[in-house]
Amino acid sequence: MMEIAINILIILIKILVILIIALGIGAYLTLVERKVAAHIQRRPGPMVVGWHGLLQPIADGVKLITKEDLFPRYGNRFLYNLALIMALVPAVLVFAVVPFGPTIEIGGREIKPILTDVNVGILLVFGLGSLAVYAIALAGWASNSKYALIGSMRKAGIIISYEVAITFAVMGPLMLAGTLSTFEIVQAQIDQKLWYFWIQPVAFVVYMFSLLAETGRVPFDIQEAEAELVTGFTVEYGGIKFGLFPLVEWYVEVLTLSAIAVVLFFGGWSPINIPFLGFVDPLFFLGPFAPFVWFVLKVALLLLFVLWLHWTLPRYRIDQITAIAWKVMLPLALLNLVITAVIAPLIWR
Amino acid sequence: MFKIIVFLIFSAWAVISSLGVVLFSNPVYVILWLLSALISIAGIFFVAGAELVGALQLIIYAVAIAVFYIFVLTAVPWEKALKKDSHYRVEGVMAFPFIILLYIEMFIVFTLGVIASPKKQLKLFIERIGNAEVVGSILFSKYFIAFEIVSLVLLMGMIGAVLIGRKESQTYDGDTS
Repeated sequence: MMEIAINILIILIKILVILIIALGIGAYLTLVERKVAAHIQRRPGPMVVGWHGLLQPIADGVKLITKEDLFPRYGNRFLYNLALIMALVPAVLVFAVVPFGPTIEIGGREIKPILTDVNVGILLVFGLGSLAVYAIALAGWASNSKYALIGSMRKAGIIISYEVAITFAVMGPLMLAGTLSTFEIVQAQIDQKLWYFWIQPVAFVVYMFSLLAETGRVPFDIQEAEAELVTGFTVEYGGIKFGLFPLVEWYVEVLTLSAIAVVLFFGGWSPINIPFLGFVDPLFFLGPFAPFVWFVLKVALLLLFVLWLHWTLPRYRIDQITAIAWKVMLPLALLNLVITAVIAPLIWR
Repeated sequence: MFKIIVFLIFSAWAVISSLGVVLFSNPVYVILWLLSALISIAGIFFVAGAELVGALQLIIYAVAIAVFYIFVLTAVPWEKALKKDSHYRVEGVMAFPFIILLYIEMFIVFTLGVIASPKKQLKLFIERIGNAEVVGSILFSKYFIAFEIVSLVLLMGMIGAVLIGRKESQTYDGDTS
């Protein structure tokens, strides 16, 4: 009985930590994004609320929550609110299969820093990740507005196209690792002394394109397209309901997909890799915390890369986006798959 | 014990959502009930230990296929969605014998499965080498020819769809002048 109680307690603590990471850090990423954007454009960014704008996300949150809750007159109130839940829940659920570090021991008890180590983890990521399309389609339809509908249709088209490409892109690393569990994929990379990025650069490029497309980041933010669609499917939402969609799409989803990219291509919590020779760890002095720091560091770098692209590139047209998906990304991913199948036995040895 | 309770929750959820699919008239709600039914069935697969099938159920049915319904549905005008002309009562009654036939077939398949491995060897086998490996090894050994034929049929279907959906450039030459 005691054993079960302790196990449940551990699971509850893990859920709490993941929720704090997903939503708390997600909210603070708004500040990071504004600062990065500002410095790219040689502005100081938010400076007024707190030291260098550190309390800005809290001020934004309070402002959004206390705003009036508007609702379009001929909309469907149930679906309008359901869309919010369907956007938030799958995006946060994906964190359940993100491994943050190696197995640690606390008080003689082995704890894996991952909520559930199911042996089809990667498939779950993409299953749950693409459930987000329902939220967007419903938001567009329930708002009963043409702008919102056009935005959501564009987004659905993009997600359907890139879902295929991203699934084939991750097959390369999966084939090399020989498992679908996220925890074991990282373990396989450590055992083989190889980040899969070194022999899967094509898959990584396809993955990054799909990441940008699925999260609606520039150059694929065609579903929002402020200039033509006045922010697309969120146009009829107000207050904190409006705030939730970008929070989920731009921050939580980018965070999860970056974490999965680190797991698949950059060896999760392992230090810097020299292919086939071993690992170099400049952070060895951190002792048992080093793997966690490495993981956070890699995810942060990938995230900054996405932000950098967002504030540098112009936007593609919708037909160009789908044409890239089907005519460039999918053939590249398939080609990569075939080549990987040939070289995979060499890696396994 | 715990497993049975979770299974009962998921199956009750599946039954209720299926009823919702049949009984609601607004097509948007129907799609949502269908989605809910598909997710609950994925849950049943997870409870049964068929993790690969559950995840594929999520990816292929709940996302890839149901999304196309969403595509159609977002094109449905608001007024039409509220009309109740989508219910076919006579056809529903006529379909009843086929439903019973389906259940009998399911029962036969189930008993055949129990007879085929009475000591749960298959289950032990799956637990020993994992889900994806079992599916792969069975597909590519025992059912290899069937698998290849199915993939060929799918390829033909795909080519057919491309042919039908393709616009021949010369057929539109006269219209655009």
